[in-house]
Amino acid sequence: MAEWGEARKSSLLGKYTQRLSGPQKVTGQAKYTFDINRPGMLYGRILRSHIPRGTLTALDLSPAQQMPGVKAAIPLIEVGKEIRYEGQEIAAVAADTKDIAADAIRAIRFDYDPLDHVVDLGESMSESSPQIRDWENNQSDRQIDEKGDLQAGWTTADAVVEATYSTEVQVHTCLESHGHVAEWDGDQLTVWASTQAVFGTRRDFARHFELPEDKVRVITEHMGGGFGSKFGPGVEGQAAAKLAKETGQPVKLMLTRKGEQNTAGNRPSMVQHVKAGATKEGKLVAYEVSGYGTSGLGGGAGFTGPYVYQVPNYRTEKFNVAINAGSGRAFRAPRHPQGAFAMDSLMDELAEKIGMDSLEFRKLNDPNEIRHAEYDRGAEEIGWNRRQKVAGSAPGIQKRGIGVGSGQWGGGGGKGTKARVNINSDGTVEAVTGTQDLGTGIRTAIAIIVADELGLQPTDITVKIGDTLPGLPSGGSGGSQTTPSVAPVVKTAAMAAKESLINHLAEKVNVVADEVVIKEGSVTIGNNQLSWKEAASTLGMETISEEGSWDENLREGGAAGAQFAEVEVDTETGQVKLIKIVAVQDCGLIINRLATESQINGGVIGGIGYALLEDRIMDGQTGRSLNSNLIDYKVAGAQEIPEIRAIAHDTDRKVTGIGEPVTIPTAGAIANAVYNAIGVRVRSLPITPDKVLTALEEA
Amino acid sequence: MEKFSYINPARLEQVPGLLKDDWQSKVIAGGTDLLGEMKDYIESPKRLINLKSIPGLDQISADDGGLTIGAMATLTDITEHSEIQKNYTALAEAAGVVASPQIRNVGTLGGNLCQRPRCWYYRDPDTDCLKKGGNMCYALSGLNKYNAIFGGGPNYIVHPSDTAPALVALGAEVTILGAGGQRTIPLENFFILPTVANPYRENILEPNEIITQIHLPKPIANTTSFYIKLRERSSFDFALVSIAGVFQTQGKKCQDLSLILGGVAPAPWRSNEAEQVLRGQVISDDLGERAGKAAVKNADPMSDNAYKVTLTQNLVKRAAVMAVS
Amino acid sequence: MQGASCVEPIDWVEVWLSNRGDPAHLHLSKDGCRIHIRYLVQEVCPTSRLVIQGGQMAEDTTRSTDQPEDRQKDLHQVNKTGLSRRNFLKGLGTGAVAATVAPATLAEADSHSATTGAEITRATVKLSINQQVYQIEVEPRTTLLTVLRDGIDTGGQRIDLTGAKEVCDRGACGGCTILVDGRSVYSCMMLAIDAEGKEITTVEGLADDNELHPVQEAFIEHDALMCGFCTPGFVVASKAILDQNPNPTREEIQAELSGNICRCGTYPFIFEAVASAAKKMK
Ligand code: FES
Ligand code: FES
Repeated sequence: MAEWGEARKSSLLGKYTQRLSGPQKVTGQAKYTFDINRPGMLYGRILRSHIPRGTLTALDLSPAQQMPGVKAAIPLIEVGKEIRYEGQEIAAVAADTKDIAADAIRAIRFDYDPLDHVVDLGESMSESSPQIRDWENNQSDRQIDEKGDLQAGWTTADAVVEATYSTEVQVHTCLESHGHVAEWDGDQLTVWASTQAVFGTRRDFARHFELPEDKVRVITEHMGGGFGSKFGPGVEGQAAAKLAKETGQPVKLMLTRKGEQNTAGNRPSMVQHVKAGATKEGKLVAYEVSGYGTSGLGGGAGFTGPYVYQVPNYRTEKFNVAINAGSGRAFRAPRHPQGAFAMDSLMDELAEKIGMDSLEFRKLNDPNEIRHAEYDRGAEEIGWNRRQKVAGSAPGIQKRGIGVGSGQWGGGGGKGTKARVNINSDGTVEAVTGTQDLGTGIRTAIAIIVADELGLQPTDITVKIGDTLPGLPSGGSGGSQTTPSVAPVVKTAAMAAKESLINHLAEKVNVVADEVVIKEGSVTIGNNQLSWKEAASTLGMETISEEGSWDENLREGGAAGAQFAEVEVDTETGQVKLIKIVAVQDCGLIINRLATESQINGGVIGGIGYALLEDRIMDGQTGRSLNSNLIDYKVAGAQEIPEIRAIAHDTDRKVTGIGEPVTIPTAGAIANAVYNAIGVRVRSLPITPDKVLTALEEA
Repeated sequence: MEKFSYINPARLEQVPGLLKDDWQSKVIAGGTDLLGEMKDYIESPKRLINLKSIPGLDQISADDGGLTIGAMATLTDITEHSEIQKNYTALAEAAGVVASPQIRNVGTLGGNLCQRPRCWYYRDPDTDCLKKGGNMCYALSGLNKYNAIFGGGPNYIVHPSDTAPALVALGAEVTILGAGGQRTIPLENFFILPTVANPYRENILEPNEIITQIHLPKPIANTTSFYIKLRERSSFDFALVSIAGVFQTQGKKCQDLSLILGGVAPAPWRSNEAEQVLRGQVISDDLGERAGKAAVKNADPMSDNAYKVTLTQNLVKRAAVMAVS
Repeated sequence: MQGASCVEPIDWVEVWLSNRGDPAHLHLSKDGCRIHIRYLVQEVCPTSRLVIQGGQMAEDTTRSTDQPEDRQKDLHQVNKTGLSRRNFLKGLGTGAVAATVAPATLAEADSHSATTGAEITRATVKLSINQQVYQIEVEPRTTLLTVLRDGIDTGGQRIDLTGAKEVCDRGACGGCTILVDGRSVYSCMMLAIDAEGKEITTVEGLADDNELHPVQEAFIEHDALMCGFCTPGFVVASKAILDQNPNPTREEIQAELSGNICRCGTYPFIFEAVASAAKKMK
């Protein structure tokens, strides 16, 4: 069984390493799918429905097909079928230029019989709503989870809080939109894809076109963000490949921003009616929630709860409500931010009711010891003792407040990755595996692990990922699973390669393997010292190539986090200004501290958008989204960013993933800080000036 | 974007003739608003007349009568101009908070004054709203968080310009060139509210007319001016409510003033009511409060934007107090 | 009366009279009235969008004036279904309008304006990008971003400068930021035809003989990038800041970068990188 050893002694593990792809990315040389230009390539574009619901009665592609420069037009829906949301694919074209493709989709004629639509959560649940899904009253079956004896719980409660918390639909807004470049060579399909799963995408393409998987190659050298929304070809990928097949030319089809925002996934909304009770000694005793939300026409709405804290008696009920809108998809910690925001707000409300410090109350109910340490560390860092004892009591128009939130994530990775480390006779080292780098830095992490094992520098390692061709599969990058899934296999591959080299050298000079020591770029054999290059050159015609194996012992799940926020609320304008956020995150064994801190910042900033800005707006009249663009859909920009203290909390644990946990606690911490500042609680995200002013007025 | 043809006139006088009067030709300056509309097929002009090809339209020059700013001066030019920073602070501040640096580097003053509304129904390519020749203002029966609380009907857009309130407050005049020659009018009269007969436009420009320059009067002694913009997102956002204030003061006494609100009405909105409360008075917190109340006395909020009334009231108060502190 | 060849008969028309002009859209002048036919022309029949000419609607004006009432009726439908009637028609030809609209070709339009100035419908422009001159044929509508990323020069070579990214394509995200005469600009909102005679610098042009610009170095050192899709835009915008202001405060950096979006959330390290690049450049 392999071990990470004493990582702290390593000159690489857990240290600050610059990203290997940095030079390419800062110079514009990094080629993303969006940037792939193939000889003779055509531009694809999708005609989408502008109506939320109707039956397609006619579709005429001929005006597009007849336009000069248009090479193909294909339907993406059959006449007679129902259009179910704005943005649904109607047809696609491939043309010589982007502008011609745009002209062409406008030339396509289609007609439809409109059907009543519904895009509002409450309306969809009402009796009068049109039935838009195969669910009774557009509501999925209740998912119920119970524990203990709720009635008994209520009787022991000294304080009870009842409240409704709601969270918005958040759109992934990947800066590189979903899309592909598809190219056929006979029956061999090559696809450059902006995907989080090259192997999964390969499988889906193969199935769709009824090809053996080995006839499909998927490449993702660099990709511009996925956040959970990019796991397969989607309609757009199939269309690209179909258009390419029909025209015999490569086709690039990237979603427009509007298509991306409307159809490429979102985090479902949630409304949680919560009732919870605690004893005056500060123990949670009862918790009851009925929660529902919309994932468009999909079924992914939900929340995690009771979240983080232990409650002996509870009952949760959740269900999905359908509306005529693009479906939700996994989005950075699915269901957690919804649950955490409600739970963290609730904990604050209960603590106040029993007259206990909110942090103390949390500790009494949070069984996770790592988080206890994080609470202490974060409280120190933010200055918890400065927090107003009585919320809203500070004088003045601009009031400051401090709040806390918590998060927990699994992210332990799993079996399934194949990886290989090659040592070539010229001294170059390759690490090859079928994972992909979404921006998390896995490419650099792999190099660090291999370099650490071989006594080299990360820049000495060529990491080959994001390609199915070598036939070394790895799972999709989701669930914060990538690093813990890949790292053990890469590590064991590097160990095996090192052992092979040692054996080879030992054999060559006829010593026992123990006398060969590989360290810091050189190889010592007895009294002789060779440079790495010299040592490798002894391989002659050989190449060392070793596969790694899964090792349970090298990774671990369960990452606890706590965040603290300090805000300043302008009680005259309702604006919430962030002053500081402290994020203390258990990161397990850290491979690259620099990228880890980046991840923490990134998660927090996603959480800031969720807490204060982002909200997909659907118009009931037209059934269309009103902000499927980057002006009206507001993600956090440079001026929203406070001081962020990203603290990678070191534990003696093993490699884990942290892409997701870091985005969970932010909204709760901010909401609690807002309350602490103004003494009025906003229970609906995002906390925008209109909501703050309205809450203040109603108070 | 639809195809269009492009004309580079050499001289300003050619422009009205090139524009004709059929609304099918448009001038393009920085293009940061127009091209967005064209990309969304909200506007599809047949011909664009490029004003950038005409030399001299971007001059900023001080003279005895005040300051003249060519319509093609960029927002960055204006923000960085020392005379404007010093004597027309409200304008420098307003120009400096328009959109983003990249927009300000190409966006022009003329373009900023003539930019089209941001109402999300208007900007939705598929919504046939009143502003675009449709039957109804969807904001009235729909989602109107960002729409007007003053001067609305039959549509309820808000004028999105930051420089417009500042310039109106500073008493700017605008020079308009048309087929019949030039005319100069107070900028305040340039903007119009929608009417049933003409809900389409935000200003008086005829199809063959353009703005050529803005003139600002000489600064009056003891006058301060400023622009405050409240937005949902600090980075790159349009105003929820903004205010341009020009105050002529002596100690805490306000001798004269101009208070123009942005983001609340289909045109820059002078708060006569607040001005009246403050004019000639010694400004105190209390008086500021009263001015704020007066400012929103006639507000007519829609279903989702009552918060703008509070915001306006508080902002007027803040502006008044700020002017004397 | 001529009919535009690309339109086919249908049963409903959207044409009406208004007394004042609509600046936004296509009109016909007749007897002091303006006849508004925007959607039909724009949406229904793209190839006939330039076809409106005066005087041809005489026979139809009476019929057209009846339309507003029809529209009123439709309004009820609008409110109930949330769909305007126009949407039903989207993509279908309109016979009645075809009857009122005379096709005019671009050539006609050109000849008409020949007296007033050159009306450009295509042009070969010379663009100076990263100190190299490219000659390329464009339409007036071709944006600079399209030229950089997808353009093919007159010699058949792809320009292939894909550092500037298309993200929002509406001047809202900064992904496509480049320098034009030293100032940061959204290339998605600039026409290529307007870029002639200007010095264009893209992210590919910042490094000197393979030596990274201090901003680029600092971005790598501070890990001011994750997925990196926004990075070229930020790098270019950051260089523009330092060219103007060698000593920016954190607030100034934030304000000057407010036109760029990073979805991965790399801002804190970007601010650090810009500050450290400022020091390096001293
Ligand atoms: S792509 Fe140009 S600003 Fe977003
Ligand atoms: S690094 Fe991914 S969007 Fe900025």
